[in-house]
Amino acid sequence: MSAATPLLSIENLSAKVGGKNVLHGLSLAVNAGEVHAIMGPNGSGKSTLAYVLAGRPGYEITGGSVKFQGRDLLAMEPEERARAGMFLGFQYPVEIPGVNNVYLLKAAVNAKRKATGQPEVDAYEFLQLVRGKMKLMQMDESFLSRGVNEGFSGGEKKRNEILQMLVLEPALAVLDETDSGLDIDALKVVARGVNSLKSADRGVLLITHYQRLLDHIVPDQVHVLARGKIARSGDKTLAHELEKRGYDWVLEVA
Amino acid sequence: MIALPTNKDENWRYANLRPLARAKIDAVADSATNTEVALPAPLQGYERWVFIDGRFAARLSAPASDSCATLLNARDAGEEFSAMLDAAIATEGADLALARLNGTRGDQVLHIAPPDGASASIELTFIASAGATAGTSYPRVQVHAGRGANLRIVERHVSAAGADSMINAAFDLALRADATIDHCRLQNLADAASGFDTLIAHVGERATYRLRTITLGALTSRSTILVKLAGRAARCELTAGTIANGIQTHDVFAEIEHSHADTVTRELYRGIATDRGKLGFNGKMIVRESAPGADSDQSLKTLLTGTGAEASVRPQLEIYTDKVRAKHGATTGKLDEQMLFYLLSRGIDRRTAQTLLQWAFIEDAISRMDCAPLRAEIEQLVAAQLNEVSALEGLLGKP
Repeated sequence: MSAATPLLSIENLSAKVGGKNVLHGLSLAVNAGEVHAIMGPNGSGKSTLAYVLAGRPGYEITGGSVKFQGRDLLAMEPEERARAGMFLGFQYPVEIPGVNNVYLLKAAVNAKRKATGQPEVDAYEFLQLVRGKMKLMQMDESFLSRGVNEGFSGGEKKRNEILQMLVLEPALAVLDETDSGLDIDALKVVARGVNSLKSADRGVLLITHYQRLLDHIVPDQVHVLARGKIARSGDKTLAHELEKRGYDWVLEVA
Repeated sequence: MIALPTNKDENWRYANLRPLARAKIDAVADSATNTEVALPAPLQGYERWVFIDGRFAARLSAPASDSCATLLNARDAGEEFSAMLDAAIATEGADLALARLNGTRGDQVLHIAPPDGASASIELTFIASAGATAGTSYPRVQVHAGRGANLRIVERHVSAAGADSMINAAFDLALRADATIDHCRLQNLADAASGFDTLIAHVGERATYRLRTITLGALTSRSTILVKLAGRAARCELTAGTIANGIQTHDVFAEIEHSHADTVTRELYRGIATDRGKLGFNGKMIVRESAPGADSDQSLKTLLTGTGAEASVRPQLEIYTDKVRAKHGATTGKLDEQMLFYLLSRGIDRRTAQTLLQWAFIEDAISRMDCAPLRAEIEQLVAAQLNEVSALEGLLGKP
């Protein structure tokens, strides 16, 4: 992959869900080292974009292409995408009682290592690594032995998503409304987690409804999604403008 | 002549009764107790009673010197056995036909009677060795728990070899006031075997009976469980977990009768049917007029993962008083797509993700087993049955 190849390149993407067209020719490029924010009103296609990138069943691609690290993302299974370095932070993480968190973390890390020909992670080193990340996320170690998201509060689930992201160290993190339902303290913790992942070879796609997350994770670019495509792009000041003038303003100009 | 149940009988529609109809009903001749068998590791703190083809195997057993259990000749125990049964159901109806057959054909009874206030922990391992042409084995256990007694029972049914053994087991238990019995049962017979059992429990005032069963083995199994909550605030907790692979059929009929005030039932069933496996669970809850304040909760779930798999789950409520809390839920379904996608999105391969979700489903039942070493033993067996021991390694208890 040459330096000129974007980490993620979406071209003219159209997609249907439940027989309804939701994305209409969306184009977007994210380079390594960049944080992009996708904002937009409810129903504009934000979550659909996240699910299409992660490969959720039930989303039909009707046109366009997506390249991830130069590979055809849409031809890959969801698990292959994850192993190649794509991470989706869910808006509503599911609870899986009976499968504990530490097991899932380890299985996920090992699946990725196996795909790249690396040996399984050393159990002790792994636990040390996870403990360090949990500290950063202000999560109690008792979470490790609990079922995945089982009985977690909304905020705890979101922190757990970020913890998984930090342990998996993805090339591209797509975070779907990770800020929703968080109080200001939890928001800061989540932002700290995301900021700690930022590096020259990674990208972040932040999907959010509100500008407040962007006070803590500063984006390189902000895009407004409206009616299934990017209606406007700009730098971080665009988010402030949206906060003041509302989405109607963009919709009118679009 | 005792008429055997057929699929036309109300509570027997889903049982596979073909092996029963073909079986030789005479008890297996008393020769097999010398068979060489591999036993599971002893459970710490439990006295051990081992039976081969329904007969006590002294050389494999280690009863406590002051054991509250004694081995009786069936003829001596017979009267007491029938006295345990409710007169009406003991003499008519198909549900107790197999218990009556056990009562007439079996020749040994293990009698367990912890006196008032006593505690005991007893492991019962029943090994099926003879094939069906040699006859039927008739394990039989009677339990009388004294006032405030505390009894733990671990009951295993396993096979010595791959024989098509026929087992017809009968348990009857009586708990006096404030007694507690924790009863964990594992059925892991050989693939060709048939396991039938009848269990009757009378639970006295403020007494608690916990029955946790895991059924994995045998071509066909049928458990008939009849519990009478026969004293104020008597409590029954019934958990049943099962996996039917290949062409296995596992059927349960559980009737719990609340006849006194403030009686409580907690019932949980988790069944997985793969391939062409068949599951039946008929959970009948009766609340008499004499049981105001009764509280019952049924959670019955099956998971079908094979194209030819079938399940019939029936919660039945018969309630004769208004002052009752009765909650029930029954579902039959496939793996949760959202959970599956979540695991895939973390890079877990599809087959492992499916296994994990099956594991999570059945673990709901296994986790309620109080005996930790038995639970670990079961977790290993379940992982093997799901064909993914290595993938599940991090989730299994240490034996």
